[in-house]
Amino acid sequence: MENFASLLHGFGVALTTYHVILMMVGVLLGILVGVLPGLGAPNGVSLLLPLTFTMDPVAAIILLTSMYWGALFGGSTTSILFNIPGEPSSVATTFDGYPMARQGQATQALTLAFLSAGFGALVGVILITVLSTWVAQFALRFSSPEYFAVYFLAFASFVGLGAASPFKTVVSMGLGFAFAAVGMDTVSGGLRLTYGFNELLSGISFLIAVIGLFGIGELMITMEEGLRFDGIRARVKVRDVLKTIATLPRYWVTLLRSAAIGCWMGVTPGGPTAASFMSYGLAKRLSRRKEGFGKGEPEGVVAPETADHAAGSSAILPMLALGVPGSATAAVMMGGLMIWGLNPGPMLFIERPDFVWGLIASMYLGNIVAVLMVLATIPLFASILRIPFAIIGPVIVVVCFIGAYTVAGRPFDLWLALAFGVVGYLFKKLDYPIAPLVLAMVLGDKAEDAFRQSMIMSRGSLSIFWSNGLVTTLMLIGLALALGPVLSTLFGRLTKAKTSSAVA
Amino acid sequence: MISRYTAEIGTATLTAGLGLAAVIGALEFGIGWGDAGPESGTFPFYMGLLVVLASIGTLVQATVGRKGLQSVFLHKEEAMRVASFFLPMLAFVVVSLLLGLYVATALYLAFVMWSQGKYRLFVSIASGIAAAVTFYVLLEVAFQVPLLKGPLEAALGIY
Repeated sequence: MENFASLLHGFGVALTTYHVILMMVGVLLGILVGVLPGLGAPNGVSLLLPLTFTMDPVAAIILLTSMYWGALFGGSTTSILFNIPGEPSSVATTFDGYPMARQGQATQALTLAFLSAGFGALVGVILITVLSTWVAQFALRFSSPEYFAVYFLAFASFVGLGAASPFKTVVSMGLGFAFAAVGMDTVSGGLRLTYGFNELLSGISFLIAVIGLFGIGELMITMEEGLRFDGIRARVKVRDVLKTIATLPRYWVTLLRSAAIGCWMGVTPGGPTAASFMSYGLAKRLSRRKEGFGKGEPEGVVAPETADHAAGSSAILPMLALGVPGSATAAVMMGGLMIWGLNPGPMLFIERPDFVWGLIASMYLGNIVAVLMVLATIPLFASILRIPFAIIGPVIVVVCFIGAYTVAGRPFDLWLALAFGVVGYLFKKLDYPIAPLVLAMVLGDKAEDAFRQSMIMSRGSLSIFWSNGLVTTLMLIGLALALGPVLSTLFGRLTKAKTSSAVA
Repeated sequence: MISRYTAEIGTATLTAGLGLAAVIGALEFGIGWGDAGPESGTFPFYMGLLVVLASIGTLVQATVGRKGLQSVFLHKEEAMRVASFFLPMLAFVVVSLLLGLYVATALYLAFVMWSQGKYRLFVSIASGIAAAVTFYVLLEVAFQVPLLKGPLEAALGIY
């Protein structure tokens, strides 16, 4: 009940004309970055972040989260109409969305995608509303060792639950921590890892890394594939939309299951991409119309879209309540909060309830605004992709570099963005996960501080991470997750060896 | 033509090098116990070490599974396409540092439109200038965010 009252107060904060206009602007910008290749949600938020430094934090976060929703919807539009996922998390939507559009059911596919996405997001936001205060109150019991254990758990789940090779995940994560350590040491105030370069004194901003990795790297992949945008023209007719809405309850099982998967993957740092694939796979396995999947099965659109958006919105929960973001975009937003002088975590609920509940309320409103606006603007945004890539491509490149420069006004950041672009290209092609790198860059200082403070508390003994039930449980789950892939490989080999010796 | 195996080995060596750089850099600042707890090199040292070890893991994995990594990583045609995108972008960064972001934007857009989009030279140049002016109005006038400027802006009295 207390949460409900706080939420009503939050609606009072979010429902001003200024904030609603910001939501609409954010959603439109989000759809734009979602539609354009090379500009996804994390990248879009990074580019917009420097422009929000002078804004009030509530207004700024409303603008950024609305952009996030818009980008998720924009990604679905291109998946269905062009067979090009604007976002990695929209890849699974192409499997059935594009075939549906080719069969003349573009409006149905888009409507199903947007409505199920809206449903997923709504479930995610309800989860945040119900659980956030509880999680925050629980987290108030945390001190440095518990915080370190939570960070350890977050990164261990990347290793254990991610689809990539555990070695590659560790490389990506370790590099993120190493990049975060460049520049001033937050404890001693000394400089480190600058190798005599004055340009590295103020460190490497995670925003530059995101712009390079997600923006320039993605564009290089797009160019390499020599994409042709052969889209399907879509005119959204109100009658078709209404007819499709009437069919939605048919998929209630898929909707609920996918929302649950999405929420779980959003809260643990599995992220929206893993959630959408997992949800699609399960829908296919459990469906009565298995053979229709991949050929234009509506359930194949509903499942990934619901999970994608449920994960996208619920990733905000650990960011707000614990200070551990559940996705790359949430990590960028959390970095923004820190730049604005806010400290994500349980104290935020006590110190700035107007901010927290204004944000949560805006997530309800922002998603409704997003569903309506995306349905109204599909033809406009679809036409953007008909502009030749020789124009759109370099414009996106310029936007990325301008964005990199505006982060701190340092010319050297242009080189850094380019270097991260090359790294992003290589990493994507070789299946190195990028999200752990970004998360480690954002959390680097906090994780290191938690580790060092724990060490000071215990005078250098690692036993502090086993000193009470809470921290021990967190560390044990983390270790089980981190060592899971290794143990399962060993176990698999052992079983195989036993079977083959038995056969011999 | 580059095989996936070569690309895996090359990238893992690169990441191992970066990890080693972190290890060596961290050693300068000490990895022991100082006046204020662990010395400032401790955390980056172990992170660097982790990167080196995981990169070695990737190298071993790639070598063991070499047979399965013989697919083509980059065809000649793809490499050409990437180069035709990357080199103008590299030039854009160099020109930005010498002449400022606005001039570089105009030149870069005009060049790519003309050379890759096969637009007429006049149309390409006009589009490049229009884009640079749009960025100026949007960033400097509307959002008050100054961009990197060069000698041309100085000559025009724009700071």
